[in-house]
Amino acid sequence: MTRYILGRLASLIFVLWVVSMVTFALMRAVPGGPFDEEKQRLPPAAKANILRKYGLDQPVWKQYLKYMWNALHFDFGIPYQVPTTTVTALIAQTWFITAQVGIMTIALSYSLGLVMGLVAAYYQNSWIDNVVTFTAMLGTTIPNFVVALWLLLLFSVRLQWLPMGGWSEPENWVIPGFFSKDWIMPVVAYSLRPFSTVARYTRASVVDAIHADYVRTARAKGLGERTVVLRHVLKNALIPMITVLGPDIPNLLTGSIFIEATFRVPGLGKYFWTSTFNRDYPMIMALALLIAFLWSITYLVTDVIYTWVDPRLRFGAARGV
Amino acid sequence: MMAAGVKRLGAQKTSYKQRTLWRDAVRRFFKNRLAVFGLIIVIFFLFLAIFADFLAPYPYDEAHLNLTLRFPFAVPRFPLGTDEIGRDYLSRLIYGARTSMTVGLAVQVIAFGIGVPLGAIAGLRGGSADFIIMRIVDVMTAFPGLLLAILLVAVWGGGLWKVIPVLGFTSWVGVTRITRAQLLSLREKEYIEGARCIGASEWRIITRHLLPNALTPLLVTLSFGIPGAIFGEAGLSFMGIGINDPMPSWGKMVGMSTGYVRVYWYLALFPTVLIALTMLGFSFVGDGLRDALDPRLIE
Repeated sequence: MTRYILGRLASLIFVLWVVSMVTFALMRAVPGGPFDEEKQRLPPAAKANILRKYGLDQPVWKQYLKYMWNALHFDFGIPYQVPTTTVTALIAQTWFITAQVGIMTIALSYSLGLVMGLVAAYYQNSWIDNVVTFTAMLGTTIPNFVVALWLLLLFSVRLQWLPMGGWSEPENWVIPGFFSKDWIMPVVAYSLRPFSTVARYTRASVVDAIHADYVRTARAKGLGERTVVLRHVLKNALIPMITVLGPDIPNLLTGSIFIEATFRVPGLGKYFWTSTFNRDYPMIMALALLIAFLWSITYLVTDVIYTWVDPRLRFGAARGV
Repeated sequence: MMAAGVKRLGAQKTSYKQRTLWRDAVRRFFKNRLAVFGLIIVIFFLFLAIFADFLAPYPYDEAHLNLTLRFPFAVPRFPLGTDEIGRDYLSRLIYGARTSMTVGLAVQVIAFGIGVPLGAIAGLRGGSADFIIMRIVDVMTAFPGLLLAILLVAVWGGGLWKVIPVLGFTSWVGVTRITRAQLLSLREKEYIEGARCIGASEWRIITRHLLPNALTPLLVTLSFGIPGAIFGEAGLSFMGIGINDPMPSWGKMVGMSTGYVRVYWYLALFPTVLIALTMLGFSFVGDGLRDALDPRLIE
């Protein structure tokens, strides 16, 4: 197992290295630079000075090595868009907001999806099963910015129950320090897809589990319905879910550009493209590496948890299968 | 004696109406009401896309600067209203179907053009070719897809004929994985061994046995890949970096509408409904195909 994890960590480092190289190369391939004439007119001496300050007068390979050296010391540079702060600080500040939406989304969609999937499987082919299946089908198909706009049209434009968007300070919340109306629509719009995935998979694996022999055995030995469902059906049905839900978490935590743009949430999202179009090299590098890292580490953790939870796989691994 | 028996069996077989996998699949597909509904939606949008020049009452770029932001039916000439520079919204929506369908199909051509050969090499050759291809796949999987698309658009510029290769280049990984996995599992099947035993050539085994059997999952991947690409284009255009003006794109229309949504609700509503319908149509067809092509589900 240790060897397996070490091997995976090695491939993670390889992936991050390639991602950093590709991103770096692509950025330099973009015509134009961050301090071009059309953006701000500068005397040649001042421009040369700025380029020297950010190391942009050096050859590209030297810039790359310098960047990587600094990155290994957790220094990701200064964002050209907001030169008064550091990349690390800017990401921390905006990601905090994005992650709030992400965590609320995970909490809402996973719990609701689990419950609804279980209910749908338990009352298979009833009306409630049909409602859940239909909602899940819509949720996996329709893009989140479409759902976001529909919510906006209905609840803010038509009914005027909810704010048009924005992100107010804690003292202006409906219940100060506890709940803000601004959260409702972004979280609901963002939750629909993960909710659908969770509900779909829970339903499918619970339906499988209900007909399994061990559930019949559990019933036959006279266990109560609650124990059968919670201890036998759900526990076994949840194991395959780990591989489905795990990899989705980094996605949800890094947020959706579309949701943040539609509801004007001041999160990480907009920096994905403002950084690209302002040629904000340090910021793009940091974002690409951050996502690639989160992604790879989640896959690794998911696989490890999976083998650890399911004894059959553990023995398979021991035999080298 | 033996030969006669075999011959008689063969003769008997032809007296039945032949049932092939494909004919069964078509029959099962059309029995599935949701799939047929999806197919109707898809055909409708394809029709709009192909005949947009005849169906649209105005050219998509004809601006009426004295009639900007009119509500639907406010001016009888413009049944779905006009946009912020007075272009007929109905015409732009119809031409938008052309953009979406072109992207959806063309991106798949690229994704399959890269994905299938790479997957086939990895699956059939194995060894170092497999290792190298799968490492590339690993990196592409970990690379944030949307960020890569944005970077490529930034390097190369927007516009329809640049968005298509960009999206194609970011979406072949799934095709490679599936092709490889299919070939790996099919290679070990008894009928391949059987074909080898009676002396079939490698080429014949690949073209007659492996590819037809790998086709089913690829077809399903294709039918889910098309809405994926349409979503990708809509997303890039939503951010304003996909399709360039004046060419209409539903995603761009949605993105533009967010600034006007408080009053001019129709600007947001119509294109979002069309995007949702297209995605639903294609995924109904995909679900239908998957069920129809799975021989284990034969009733």
